Amino acid sequence: MPPTNAKGTDAGPTALAQTGLARPRPLRLSEQATGLLLVLPAVLLLLALTIYPVVYGAWISTFNKHSFFPEQTFVGLGNYTYVLTDPEFWNSVRLGAIYAVASIVLQIGLGVAAALVVNETFPGRNIVRSILIFPYVIPTVVAVILWKWLLNSQFGLINYLLEDAGLIDRPISWMGKDWIMVSLVLVSVWQFFPFVVLGVLARLQSIPGELYEAAAIDGANALQRFVHVTLPQLQAVLFIVILLRSIWMFTKFDTPWLMILGGGAETYIRTLPVYTYQRTFAYYEAGIGAAMAVLMFLMLAVATAIYFRLFRHEEAL
Amino acid sequence: MLISRRIARVALALGFASCAGAGLSANALAQDKLVRVWHTETEPQTIKAFNDIARRFEAKNPGVKIEAEGLAWGDLEGKIMASLAAGAPPELSHGQPITCTALQAKGLLNPLDEVVKAIGEANIWDQVKRVCNVDGKQYGLVHAAGTSLLIYRKDMAAKANLKPPKTWADLLANAKALTQDTNNDGKIDIYGITVPGDNLFINIMLGELIKANGGTLFDKANKPQLTDKRMIETLEFWRELVKYAPPGWEGHGYLQTFQNLHGQKAAMMFQGYGRGAGMIEKFAPKEMANDKTFDVWIKPHGPSGSAPAAQVDEEPWMLFKASKNQKEAIEFLKFFYQDDNYLEYVSTVPIHLFPITKSLRNSAKYQNVEMIQRWKGWIEVQQGYLDKDQGKPTLVVDWADMTEKPYLMEVLGSGILRDMVMDVVVEKMEPQRAAEKAQKRLEDLMRSKGYLKG
Repeated sequence: MPPTNAKGTDAGPTALAQTGLARPRPLRLSEQATGLLLVLPAVLLLLALTIYPVVYGAWISTFNKHSFFPEQTFVGLGNYTYVLTDPEFWNSVRLGAIYAVASIVLQIGLGVAAALVVNETFPGRNIVRSILIFPYVIPTVVAVILWKWLLNSQFGLINYLLEDAGLIDRPISWMGKDWIMVSLVLVSVWQFFPFVVLGVLARLQSIPGELYEAAAIDGANALQRFVHVTLPQLQAVLFIVILLRSIWMFTKFDTPWLMILGGGAETYIRTLPVYTYQRTFAYYEAGIGAAMAVLMFLMLAVATAIYFRLFRHEEAL
Repeated sequence: MLISRRIARVALALGFASCAGAGLSANALAQDKLVRVWHTETEPQTIKAFNDIARRFEAKNPGVKIEAEGLAWGDLEGKIMASLAAGAPPELSHGQPITCTALQAKGLLNPLDEVVKAIGEANIWDQVKRVCNVDGKQYGLVHAAGTSLLIYRKDMAAKANLKPPKTWADLLANAKALTQDTNNDGKIDIYGITVPGDNLFINIMLGELIKANGGTLFDKANKPQLTDKRMIETLEFWRELVKYAPPGWEGHGYLQTFQNLHGQKAAMMFQGYGRGAGMIEKFAPKEMANDKTFDVWIKPHGPSGSAPAAQVDEEPWMLFKASKNQKEAIEFLKFFYQDDNYLEYVSTVPIHLFPITKSLRNSAKYQNVEMIQRWKGWIEVQQGYLDKDQGKPTLVVDWADMTEKPYLMEVLGSGILRDMVMDVVVEKMEPQRAAEKAQKRLEDLMRSKGYLKG
């Protein structure tokens, strides 16, 4: 519709010129240029917040550099040689792997089981679903403080309940050498299994009912329906969930760090991210810390590539 | 694709307007001279007292604003370093004494001599003046001092007829005697001693013990002395001592060791502090919350040592060279140390926060603080350590370490000393082997930092 003036008559170019108002000239951009313009902010953010730190980290890893002061000396691959021959580094890789594998296996097991339960129809299902999500939405610092209180060896509720039930005859030292990894895994599973529930539940709700009906007609029992109908349908979502959770658990810093803050047998849950942080911010060795971060990145990249190769089929799904 | 020029103009105008707005609000804030202060006293009553002092200072000094932040010990060093790297340190901050000397060695601090002069140099205790004093200039001024304490259950010791331990062997005997199955059910109900398992406190305790055993951590050429006989004896003692500690002690932080004591799970606490008196009054059963039940012994010495040693918790104020409002910060510190203000501050945790000024410590107003009356014995033991120069900051064995060993902060942060102790007492490694392992790691660290040649 052409623009109109206050009198309602056509305000074409001539009329506008008569009133002294010039019609705004449109800015002409090619579709390609517009496209580039629209992605430019995202590209700039990516460069500034992801690419630059990664490249800078890799560059720093070739220097013997104080974390905060401008002192630095070029050492080439010296930091990598040092890190790869440091027993503490390999110990932290081992602890990180134990933590990641144990917590992922339990998160998946618990998450799938919980999703199957809340996929059924029963009174109060929505409330149960909301409660299930709760651990995932509370801040990690709150979750860890809460669990440290529950697991306190002398005054904690968990020990009290276990002793009261006659399951143990003396308090377990949950933050001591023998149990701190178990405690860490326990806290992490509790906090992150809802993520698995969300992913799996969403997929469960979209599995066509006809598949189950057909399986039932063929005489499949509940277990057989789960193995032959549900699990194959969950493959794609489990592929993604396992991949994401593996990356996140292997690089998890806040939960183990908070567990050892102010007590907690640190040596026994000093995972790779924690050790990297310590080398950088307690030893003040930014170069070595950066080399460890680069190695961590490479480990994850290799593990992800292997994972994709092993499960090519699920990737296609 | 068409984009209206008018829309583009409006967007541009909005962009400029928001930038100008940000600039204007920054200018408005800049009208006040802001003094940022970071301190390590996080108890609510201390934060309140400090903020009240700050508000009174602001009232007397229009145009100056004090912004104080209480931080946990563990967070402070990293935050200071990050702020220095960003070129935006606070005006004033607490720090470990060894942090103070490390930063002074890098030329990042300005002296606080003007504050010392205002207080009166002769009015400050000698022990305190040795902290972060370089070439006669006071780069760090202690906010308050309190020594570590060996706290014990006086009632249980009396019952077991125990004497104050003079040597480590005596202490082990006492710990054994105080490890008790009180209800004869075959299970230990109260352990002889509680010790901390976290990095900071293991470093503190190791520094204390090596001094009490006549040893040192580094020689004059900065070579670590971890394989020295006196260190091996120290590790052996530690290994014996934890036999009487609650299981899982290696997972106990500073606060849990206090819980063990006032919660009646341990009869002695090796790394106690005056702050514990407040916790006892708050958390122990009412009839036990007194110095008749919880008292302090002078710490014993090792087989190769001859005198006790204690750690002094005495974070100094540091004035950062790169901060903006240093003059105002100095004026604030002068105000802070004035007797009435300072009394208000130290009275919030009176058994822990020893005033650095003689005038206040000797004043009737201070002596009459109720809690000081109730826990006199605890104060006297701390006074004794300070008067006899038996108290030193963390990892400082000799006062010369303060200036000659600016790397102690990195040694503390590295956790190498903690790992050595854990190797012996938890992993059951032979002390000699654990010491050799730690010696190598520490030498590597010292070389990489350029402090050790060869």
